Amino acid sequence: MSDRLLEIRNLTMKFGGVTALSEVNLHVSEGEIAALIGPNGAGKTTVFNVATGYYSPTAGDILLDNESIVGLKTYKIARKGLARTFQNVRLFGDMTALENVMTGADSRNKVGLIGSMFGTPTSKKDEDRSHKKAAELLNFMGISHRAGQLARNLPYGDQRRLEIARALALEPKVLLLDEPAAGFNPQEKVELGDLIKKIRDAGFAVLLIEHDMSLVMKISDRVSVLDFGQKIAEGTPSEVQNNQKVIDAYLGVAD
Amino acid sequence: MDFSILWTEFASLLLDGIVVGAIYALVALGYTLVYGVLRLINFAHSEIFMIGTFASLGVTMMLGFTGFEEPLGILAFLGVFLLVATVAGVASGSAAMLLEVVAYRRLRRNNANRLASLISAIGASLFLVEIFRIITDSKDWDFPRLLEKNSLFEISTAYFTVDKIVVLFGAFGLMFFLDRIIQTTKLGRGIRAVSQDEKTAILMGVDVDRVIAFTFLIGGVLAGVGSAFYMLFYEATKFNVGFLLGISAFTAAVLGGIGNIRGALAGSFALGIIQQFSSAVLGYNWRDVVTFLILVLVLLFKPTGLFGEALQRARV
Amino acid sequence: MSTAKTVKVRFNLRDKFGDWWEGTTRNQRVIFRIALIGFFFILPFLDNPVFGTNESDFSSVLFYPMGMFAIMAIGLNIIVGKSGILDLGYVAFFAIGAYTHAILNLNFGFPFWINVFLGMGFAMLAGLMLGLPALRLRGDYLAIITLGFGEIVRILAINLNFTGGAAGLAGIAAPPTLFGIEFVVDNPKPFYWLLLTMMLLVIWAYLRLVARRPGRAWEAIREDEDVAEFMGVATMKYKLWGFILGGAVGGAVGAVYSAQVTSIVPEQFTLQLSIMILACVVFGGMGNIWGVALGAALLGYFPEKLRFLSETRIVFFGILMVVMMNIRPNGIIPRKKREKVYDKNTGKEVSR
Repeated sequence: MSDRLLEIRNLTMKFGGVTALSEVNLHVSEGEIAALIGPNGAGKTTVFNVATGYYSPTAGDILLDNESIVGLKTYKIARKGLARTFQNVRLFGDMTALENVMTGADSRNKVGLIGSMFGTPTSKKDEDRSHKKAAELLNFMGISHRAGQLARNLPYGDQRRLEIARALALEPKVLLLDEPAAGFNPQEKVELGDLIKKIRDAGFAVLLIEHDMSLVMKISDRVSVLDFGQKIAEGTPSEVQNNQKVIDAYLGVAD
Repeated sequence: MDFSILWTEFASLLLDGIVVGAIYALVALGYTLVYGVLRLINFAHSEIFMIGTFASLGVTMMLGFTGFEEPLGILAFLGVFLLVATVAGVASGSAAMLLEVVAYRRLRRNNANRLASLISAIGASLFLVEIFRIITDSKDWDFPRLLEKNSLFEISTAYFTVDKIVVLFGAFGLMFFLDRIIQTTKLGRGIRAVSQDEKTAILMGVDVDRVIAFTFLIGGVLAGVGSAFYMLFYEATKFNVGFLLGISAFTAAVLGGIGNIRGALAGSFALGIIQQFSSAVLGYNWRDVVTFLILVLVLLFKPTGLFGEALQRARV
Repeated sequence: MSTAKTVKVRFNLRDKFGDWWEGTTRNQRVIFRIALIGFFFILPFLDNPVFGTNESDFSSVLFYPMGMFAIMAIGLNIIVGKSGILDLGYVAFFAIGAYTHAILNLNFGFPFWINVFLGMGFAMLAGLMLGLPALRLRGDYLAIITLGFGEIVRILAINLNFTGGAAGLAGIAAPPTLFGIEFVVDNPKPFYWLLLTMMLLVIWAYLRLVARRPGRAWEAIREDEDVAEFMGVATMKYKLWGFILGGAVGGAVGAVYSAQVTSIVPEQFTLQLSIMILACVVFGGMGNIWGVALGAALLGYFPEKLRFLSETRIVFFGILMVVMMNIRPNGIIPRKKREKVYDKNTGKEVSR
């Protein structure tokens, strides 16, 4: 189906003797918020790592906008339109918030090193573009008052938002969010949910890994469940919530 | 380039390669052990070795040897040499422990990045080399010949002289001894635990500071005794002797797989032999280029060495 | 993000200067810059007993080691300080530049100015050839490879014929007369001014790079290389460029050096020199070009000024490196970024 922006087909990932993922099939369609859930260690972050090119899959294919991206270098995949955030916030601590977002925006620019050194018109245009884009995104995420502060000094909640802003600066087709609500209180989670919907409405497809079930149920269009590296269920939030296999996976089945 | 010499002198070159390799091994073990527990290259280990050579020399000077005496009988020699090796081992061992405290410990406590530790080690190395350069007036210092280097027996062109046999026996004995320490003692187990997984080792009650201090001590003692063997075999030292020997020993450790004890041994003998063969064919002045080339090539194309474990990628 | 314990610094030169700088107007800044540059140009004439060096000629000292260390430290800073690549073989670039001028001049009569660019070019080529395979590796392994490279260059210089072997090369031509100023062996001043001009060019290029995309890319790589890659930064390309540009500076300066000393031997291009330049970068403040230049100048100056340091200069360097890493790893003028103020819409920095 051509509206599938990200398609993961029969993905198998083995590390030495350990099979982290086994024949996993996932997809994210245009305009949807998809969720990936599962018990700890199920392999969810591994899916992100393989999709973004950090690991080479043992078998299977990954398509971004109908183009296979397996084997491409990570930065190329990022530029093609697959951006992510991280389980533990990983910002460039000694750079300002704006500069953090600019590094993402830069990747969409053309200017090379020589151009930057000599100040060619292209470089000036690109610089302005990066600055503007970063300012816009900080605004969009509601943290423009933090623009000039060092990323390491930001409060936790704003750090998480900054990380998302930085990923958005890549103008991705699909945004991968890895436990974006970790460490948030219920109020913050509600705000985050609204923010993610706002991101989707702005035209980005979202795939998120989350543990907070109520958040997942509230905002996701579709949920996939992973356990021990295999997909065990997929469907709407309520379908998945009532799926016996899913319940067993989370609670553990008595022997 | 005369390759025929490899054939005609094969046994001799092989023997010398093994003897030199044995000395390298004793130093290489220091690099590999410290790397195992700290994941750091102890840049100043070469100077620990150098200190040992001067300690060895110091003993003979204090005993009154001037190099012009009659050679000793075998028992007297063994007694003297045992003293020399012990003092050298103690000197290098203590120097190594002191080095750990001064250059590494604080950085380790503060979780400093690798760069900082490496630079600190380089500074320590620089300091030691220069101090000794000033003290020893940049001169070559000769080691007195304590006994006649008679050949006890020959195999083909290889002459098994007394000093070579002493080095071989001594080195192999030490390596066996080290293996026992690592396998059976509590601190040895601590070393293995910290090498594999520091965090879990701490949780299991291992005193990491003690283990690391002990690791430096062992590495230092081995290098110190190795330096005594070195003096016996080469009979001279200089303030900068550590550098090239250190590079050879380090290359050996990397060749075998840094962090891997068996690898350090295998790499040392392999390198010793390669050096002898290449010197014979290309000439002695190309020996160090060959060593550096091996180092660079191994690091570029097989950084895990012959036996090393796969380098772990950081979990994202 | 860094998890290192932040050291409480009671006195931070950079912040104090930064505060003052923020308060100046544009005209004030221009005047300040001109005055500063002017000061450095007339410095050789300011030789006096108070802060001049007594043992050796002040102008000579300004050229070497102060000026040389400073510009090489700036070059190395691009590699180590900005890109986070520990290079222990920087002297190799210096040697390549020096030998390029020497060999091409003595054997083929190439003039100085061509050789400066060729020296730069060869150094950059060497950087590329070494960097392509080596920059894939992790910190300490990479450091060792660069060390190996530096040593290989030195040993090759000793062993090969066309480099003059251990005896080196002599009779190297000085640069031709420029603007009426003659370059002769016994007058270091023109060489110093040449070096100063080159330094200004390098600083100009560097500041432009750092303020723009390359600077952000390098900083991102140094902060978290994996994440930089995830954010679309072509890390290998930028690391290579950092390495090559740092090498270019070393190569250019090497040519100037051989033109001034007129005879070179391999023993002038040792690992120790690499380490001393590294000490300057470490002392001055990794990543901070002003700190690095100042640190290098100080480290070049004091051993010349104070007799007792002269003899034991390298001991001092060694102690310095250990002490700095343990007590103040960010150098005398730390790299720490200042908070900024941006315009809400354009995202540009607002200068008061």
